[in-house]
Amino acid sequence: MKFVVLGMFVVAAWGQDCRNLHRHGKLNEAKACFAKLTQSGNALQMAEGYWYQNNSDQANNFFRAAVKAQPKNPEPRVRWGRFYLERNKREDAAALFEEALEVQKDYAPALIGMALVMAGGFDPKSVEFAEKALQQDPKAYEAHEVLARFAMEDGNPTEAAVQADKALAISPEALDALIIRATIDWMEGKPGTEWTDRLHKVNPAYAEGYTVSARIFVINRRYEEGIKLYRKALEMNPQYLPARSELGVNLMRLGEEDEAKPMLEAAYEAGFRDAATVNTLKLMDTYKNFVTLRTGKIILRLEKKEADLLRPYFQAELERAVAVFEKKYELVLDRPVQLEVYPNHEDFAVRTMGLPGLGALGVTFGNVVAMDSPSGRKPGSFHWASTLWHELSHVYALAATKHRVPRWFTEGLAVHEETAVDPEWGDRLDPGAIRALKDKKLLPIATLDKGFTRPSYPNQVIVSYFQAGKICDYINEKWGWQTLLAMLRDFGTGASTPVVVERHLKMKPEAFDVEFMAWLGKATESQVKGFDEWSKRLRALNAEVKAKDFDKIIAEAEGLRKIYPDYVEPGSPYELLADAYLEKKNAAGAMASLNEYAKVGGRRPSTLKQLAKLLDEAGKPGEAARALERINFIYPVQDEEMHRLQGDLWLRAGNTDKAIREFQAATFSKPIDAATSYYNLARAYRAAGQLDLARENLLFALEAAPSFRPAQKLLLELSK
Amino acid sequence: MDAAAEMGCGLRIVLLGSFCATVLQATTWYITVAGLGGEPEYETRFTSLAMELDKAVRSTPDVKVTTLTGSSATKARIEAVIDEAVKGSKADDVLVVTLIGHGTFDGTNYKFNIPGPDLSAAELAGKLEFVPSRRQVVINTTSASGASIEPLRRDYRTVITATRAGTEKNATVFGRFLVEAFRDPSADSDKNESVSALEAYVYADQKTTAFYETQKRLATEHPLLEDTGKGGGVRAPGPDNGQGLLARQLPLLRFGSLQQAARSPEKQKLLAQREGIEGQIDKLKYEKAATPADEYRKRLGALLLQLARVQEEIDK
Repeated sequence: MKFVVLGMFVVAAWGQDCRNLHRHGKLNEAKACFAKLTQSGNALQMAEGYWYQNNSDQANNFFRAAVKAQPKNPEPRVRWGRFYLERNKREDAAALFEEALEVQKDYAPALIGMALVMAGGFDPKSVEFAEKALQQDPKAYEAHEVLARFAMEDGNPTEAAVQADKALAISPEALDALIIRATIDWMEGKPGTEWTDRLHKVNPAYAEGYTVSARIFVINRRYEEGIKLYRKALEMNPQYLPARSELGVNLMRLGEEDEAKPMLEAAYEAGFRDAATVNTLKLMDTYKNFVTLRTGKIILRLEKKEADLLRPYFQAELERAVAVFEKKYELVLDRPVQLEVYPNHEDFAVRTMGLPGLGALGVTFGNVVAMDSPSGRKPGSFHWASTLWHELSHVYALAATKHRVPRWFTEGLAVHEETAVDPEWGDRLDPGAIRALKDKKLLPIATLDKGFTRPSYPNQVIVSYFQAGKICDYINEKWGWQTLLAMLRDFGTGASTPVVVERHLKMKPEAFDVEFMAWLGKATESQVKGFDEWSKRLRALNAEVKAKDFDKIIAEAEGLRKIYPDYVEPGSPYELLADAYLEKKNAAGAMASLNEYAKVGGRRPSTLKQLAKLLDEAGKPGEAARALERINFIYPVQDEEMHRLQGDLWLRAGNTDKAIREFQAATFSKPIDAATSYYNLARAYRAAGQLDLARENLLFALEAAPSFRPAQKLLLELSK
Repeated sequence: MDAAAEMGCGLRIVLLGSFCATVLQATTWYITVAGLGGEPEYETRFTSLAMELDKAVRSTPDVKVTTLTGSSATKARIEAVIDEAVKGSKADDVLVVTLIGHGTFDGTNYKFNIPGPDLSAAELAGKLEFVPSRRQVVINTTSASGASIEPLRRDYRTVITATRAGTEKNATVFGRFLVEAFRDPSADSDKNESVSALEAYVYADQKTTAFYETQKRLATEHPLLEDTGKGGGVRAPGPDNGQGLLARQLPLLRFGSLQQAARSPEKQKLLAQREGIEGQIDKLKYEKAATPADEYRKRLGALLLQLARVQEEIDK
């Protein structure tokens, strides 16, 4: 028995020896050592050996065998968990660490493993696990390193430095602590050589450390600097596959697909097949189904099937946004903006993988913006144009600050821009924000970033968008746009939120919070105060609709609309009111209510169509067309009828350019009745005096339907 | 493949003389049945769809319409109505049987759910054998209707189903859009004043697809069309699969003015002229791939102008 235990100890020491060689940058010696381990006959050491050789299948097999052979030993489970963690299989890793903790309660290496798993998901529980590990083993310097990384990701370099120093006090060779110290310097634009010199003395090939640093830069949206660090990691150790994969993913994010693809393929072929690598490769394979439009300042990538239909709308908004922001931000970008529009939400989701607290509608990487296509969302649930302006604002904020802008400020500006471009766009005061206001859950400006990256309640990210947007509205209203711009530029120097607030708003952040809350409280007072009563009465009213007491519905809905005017979701008082007015044959009342609905930002296409119909019936084709035009920015897909009606209205209102645009959209909407679509387009071209195009489209119409009488008549007219 | 058949009625005129003029004077027999709903919501929906269809077709000329709903939609009544067509219809007449409701498939037999004993696809096929009309359309909009293709298919019959198999058991929306095709002028995509079985199918199929896409729901029905008498039905009928040729020539709904013109002796000559030009246009379209683009455009433009002038004369 003693011999067996001694044997196990000796073999474990071999593994530790190999890891030490690697840890000291002796890669060739480490390689030979790990190769020897694969022949050791000990399952755990063989697993370590195969892991080092990137032979995932064998590593897994031997880890499994090791766990089976040593059911009472938590170590094989922890090592297996670390293997999974390196391959970004966090759930599998967590399961193994939990098993290890069942085998040995409070086993420090398993607690550190859990802390790493949680840190990967930006979960504050990471801190709890790391602290618990330190209670069990005060010399577990890796726990301090985890805390330091967490603090860095949390935007708290001071705490990160404290934790890194604690780790270094325990072990001067705490490599991650050294790299975190260097990263703190790099993020502030300092050389960091004090730390890298020490690091390189211990390990001149510490690719893992540079990868950790790169991730911190990426999380802070400083992609280009992150990419440089990944490259550095690969220079040090070309075999370190996580760096190769992550470099590929981030190159893809910045639109550098030619370099990204071989990078990812190489990682995949070498056996590194985590979800990010596989899904990014799959996404890149779908690019053959996209078309790319390049003009002077924009690159627009749309899926082939919807490219013809969406291009005019997206191109116009993108070019308009670039023109507006160039002036507003007093900045000309050094390269074109690339916008990618994904009809499949899962493809878009691949773009946001591994990043904390990103909104689910669009994402910006430097000059590259990826977003959902309207066809990927339910009608009325997504205002794509508002999202486009939001994301493009990030492009300018990031460029203006060399990616140093804090999260809350760039989101605040972006939300502000949504309604600055059009008061009807942007999100309204929603029930979640009202609840947060009631419960006083808004954060101080100095720590608002945490609302995005470390939400402490389910809706906090959304509430933080709202708060940040309102802060920018308030600053814009009280101090003006130039102050916002000056703050943005100051963030570019690396200044912190308290410093920037004090410098430009001439008050302490705490004083700003008081003033801002007073301003916001006043602006939202009636909606917040009346919300509970409003909720009860709206529920009751919706239940009463079946009773068809339309006078009562009108009286109640009018009242509810005044209490909470921002509510434009399905079942809103505006819609109930319009329906009741129509029942009472009061078209003017219905029209007024729906007009209000549209102006407040109501997005349901069927309701906007109803408004257009009423306006048309009232002899207002131009206003009716404008009502339908709103749908172009919400759900311009799968609705040939809407484009046809809108084209007809514009034509009647005398706006031939917009009529042409809409009839063209109808022809690109795969109409059942292609002949009528081309005929309408011919009518619009004729009205615009473009007779050649009119004839050409008539030919298309009659080719599809030779006996189409109206088209025949127009042909005869044009042939005279 | 026969080129004339490929190009439909227009070219057939060139080869077969006044076939279409005769057809214009044929009668269309509509038999529409709304089956059991099982619950009030479906009961109402099926009946109202059947009545909507009834209303749409009654307003067109030369029709014989029978619509069975509620307790009258029994097997015996359906068979009796078919018997009327057996006695009264001619070979050139069109017979349109539309089933609205729920269907079931037990792995062997498809059955249409109606009050009393259900009607199986095989029983329906057996009755329809005796109808003299050789231009038949069966539109089965029920759940599991894909299983009815095999028993119903004949080389003179177009079979349209809401589902691709008997295993698609959810209630369907296809019927709603199929009925819509009878009243939406845009369903007449070639603007020849009639909605063919193919046009109605394409209309309802596209609307059904759009419905599921817009709702972001997984489609639980996949419509099919079979008109060769030997296939399993296809989603997209066309030259590559040989389906849709018969369906294209079967008018489900005719709007009327052409029928009126066909009755006038002085317009007969112009109609024949019109049909001749239409045939030439079809032929040119058939040869499009092999014709230089400029020449195609020039010839097509000339023929279309010629056709427009003849039509102007007919309309006078």
